[in-house]
This record gives sequence, C-alpha cells and structure tokens, in this order.
Amino acid sequence: MTGPDAAGLEIPRGRLVRSRVGVASALEAAFSRELTGYARIEPDSLLADGEPGVVTFAAGVPRAAYCERGAGGGEEPGEDHDRERGDGPVEGDSRGVDALAALAGPGPCSVELYELPADALAEVHDAAEFSVPPGAPAEELADDPSLAERARERAPDDAHDGDASALESFLADEERIAAIQEEARAEAEQRAAEWGLDGELE
Amino acid sequence: MVEALAVASGKGGVGKTTSTLALGMALADDHDVTVVDADTGMANLCFHTGLADADTTLQDLLLAESDAAVEDAVYDRFGLSLVPCGTSLAAFREADPTRLRAVVAELAADTDVLLLDSAAALGSQSAVLPLVLADRTVVVLQPTIPSLSDGLKVQEYARSYGTETAGVLFNRVQDDEAIDRVADQAEQYFGGPTLATVPESDAARAARRAGEPLLAHAPDSAAAAAYRRAADRLDLQDGDEGAVADRFRSAVIPEPP
Repeated sequence: MTGPDAAGLEIPRGRLVRSRVGVASALEAAFSRELTGYARIEPDSLLADGEPGVVTFAAGVPRAAYCERGAGGGEEPGEDHDRERGDGPVEGDSRGVDALAALAGPGPCSVELYELPADALAEVHDAAEFSVPPGAPAEELADDPSLAERARERAPDDAHDGDASALESFLADEERIAAIQEEARAEAEQRAAEWGLDGELE
Repeated sequence: MVEALAVASGKGGVGKTTSTLALGMALADDHDVTVVDADTGMANLCFHTGLADADTTLQDLLLAESDAAVEDAVYDRFGLSLVPCGTSLAAFREADPTRLRAVVAELAADTDVLLLDSAAALGSQSAVLPLVLADRTVVVLQPTIPSLSDGLKVQEYARSYGTETAGVLFNRVQDDEAIDRVADQAEQYFGGPTLATVPESDAARAARRAGEPLLAHAPDSAAAAAYRRAADRLDLQDGDEGAVADRFRSAVIPEPP
C-alpha cells in the first residue's frame, strides 16, 4: 500500500505513529519526537470545503507540503471530490506554501503521523515546488508562533528561503476570502438573533 | 467631537491591548482620549497600566446593584483616561453586559476619542457589544493566515451592525520585506487603509512586564514610532457627542433565554 500521491511524487505509506490528533498537537508531536515522515491532514467537516493534504518532516522540522485542493480558486459546491488520483499532475492541486494556504482552513482537522526512512522522502524534499519555510506550518495551520520559532531554530541553514508566503497565496484567493466573509456574515446574523441583537443589524 | 473606535482582532495574542494603549497615547497628543477595557471576559488593560489593584473598575459598573459612579472607574494615567476592567470571575458572571451602553454613553459625553479594547473571540453578546456600539473598528492583525481569517471575520461581524473598518494594523511583524506585499494584498479586503506595520518588539514585552504602555516604557522604540504613524494615518471623524451618547443609551438588549 502506498501513502500520499503528490502528482507523481509518491510517498510510501510509512508506519503510523499517531492518529486522530488536531493539527497543533500533531505538529508539536512531530517536532518533539523528531519525526522523519509526514502528517496526513484531513478536514473533519464536510462543510469546510477541504481536501486532504500532507506536510512532510525531516527530524521534526516541516520541509514540504502538498494539498489536493488548489489554493487559488477552490471548487464549486457539489463538485466531485472523489476524483481519481493519477500519476500526472493533478488539476487544481497545490504545492509548497500554496498547499499550506489551502490547508489553513477555519475548520478542525484530523491528522495522522507516519514515520518513514529519510531516503523515502529525498525526492519530494529535493523538489523546490513542494518546499515550505520550516516555521510556516506551525504559524499558518496551528497558530503557534512558539513552535514555529523552535522549528526555525532546528532547521538546517539551507532550509526553504523562497520569497512567496502561504499568506500571500491565501490573500490571492479571492473566492476563498469571499466565502469566509459570507460565512462570517451569516454566522453574525444568526448569533445576533440568539443574543437579542438582531434589532441592531443593518 | 467624539468618535468611538472598537479595537478588535478576532483572535488573541496579536497585541491588541498593547496596540489600543499605544494608539491612545499617540492620539492623546491632540485629543482627549478615553480607553475602556471592554474585553470583560479576559480583561488585561489593568496589567498594562499598573492598575491591577484599582479599587473600582468597569466590572463594578456592570453589576446591577452597583452604586459606583462611572467617574470612580476612570483613572488618569499616561495622558489618558483609563477605564480598566477587573478580573474577578464571579463579578464577570454577575455582570450585566448591557450596562456597558450606559457607561460608554456617559464617558462619550466627556472625551474626544473613545477606544474600546474589545474581546478577542466573538462567542458572546458581551464580546460583540463593542463592535455594535462603536462608530468604526480598528482591526489588529498578525501577518498569518489564522489572524487574517479571524480579522476578516471580525470585520464582517462589525459590518453586519453597520460598523465599518477605520483601518488595519499589522502587529508583531517579523518579515519586513514581505509585509508590504501582504499589506497591499490585504487592503483590498478591508474597509480601511493599513495604518502601520509594527515590528515584533522586545520592548512591548518589557513594557507589559513593567506595567506600562509601550509609548511610556519605550517611546523611542521602532514599534512606538510605528504606532505614532498609525495614529497620524487614522482619519478621525467628527461626531456629535450627544448623538453618540444617545446611540449608546438606545435600545435595551434583552438577555438571551
């Protein structure tokens, strides 16, 4: 059996070392056990419009990311999420910091951690398009600046030094931001009614 | 003139109280400024201003049977009128958040700028009330996706009550080069301009430990200079204090069942 398939860069499944944890505790666990392997991140909520993704690690430090969902645009509601995985480039997927932006959804996720020998990840870790800054997953997925700082300290000197950031990728996704705004507006109006503030709405 | 601004963030840890006090002190060069700790569930303005032992606080004013006068909870410090909130859980549970309206209405009658340091999370009526009552909001962000997502959310909550965004403040910035691109991108989604990008600063932590606002503790720091720029860019709008007070007094909000 194989693990995640990043558009031709196949990662072996590896040995499951933790399951059913949130992103924050998964990243912390990967760091503290100096995991070489990957985290498979699966959005819990069907409403989150999320697709699974992967963050890989070397000695607990995040190195690469891939998500089956594109960071720029997303899918229309009702679109088939169960498309076939193939060996060629997958339409609408995202890589590197774009993948982090796609995974940084507001909803909760379930994460499984898998351990792998380092050479199993050499190919993906050598591919610049998948590379992520060592602190970015903790900052963008777990909102944990302290873990991000520790990851940066442990990272090798030649760790990702690209200019683009996951945040820039996120902000370039106008449809996704419009969706966040719409959802917040609907939630605000619903709660206004619960709190007796609906008379104040405009 | 009076303008009531809610300083909001949508999430904790972005330096909202530091920012509120820094903006307040910078604005106080030209205006009478009152800062209210309206984050009644997680009050911490008192720790930033040496008022942790204040006798009377906003909590006292929010108690139904309270006989404390509003002026008893106003402390003149650092060139500001400060209304700290106590941290007693029992008092928080007994507090009637709707009394905030009357308190702020009274404060509005006697100041130029009212800054409401608002709750980070939007989970209750009392947390959202400052957004309802304010004329506009200042949204404090960190340059991360979770912070921007929550900032967009808080802006939408405020807008649904007709409260537009006066400006955005990026705080705790570490990457000076990327922040200009991020701020440019973010401006298209926020109703106001980027007021300033404030660098991550040891001075802010030291100020908090010393129980002083940043602009009092480290007035020459880069972060303090950024907050002064933010205050300069904040285009305060003339309001009629009577109208503001009336708005705060209007409509009694029933408690949810």
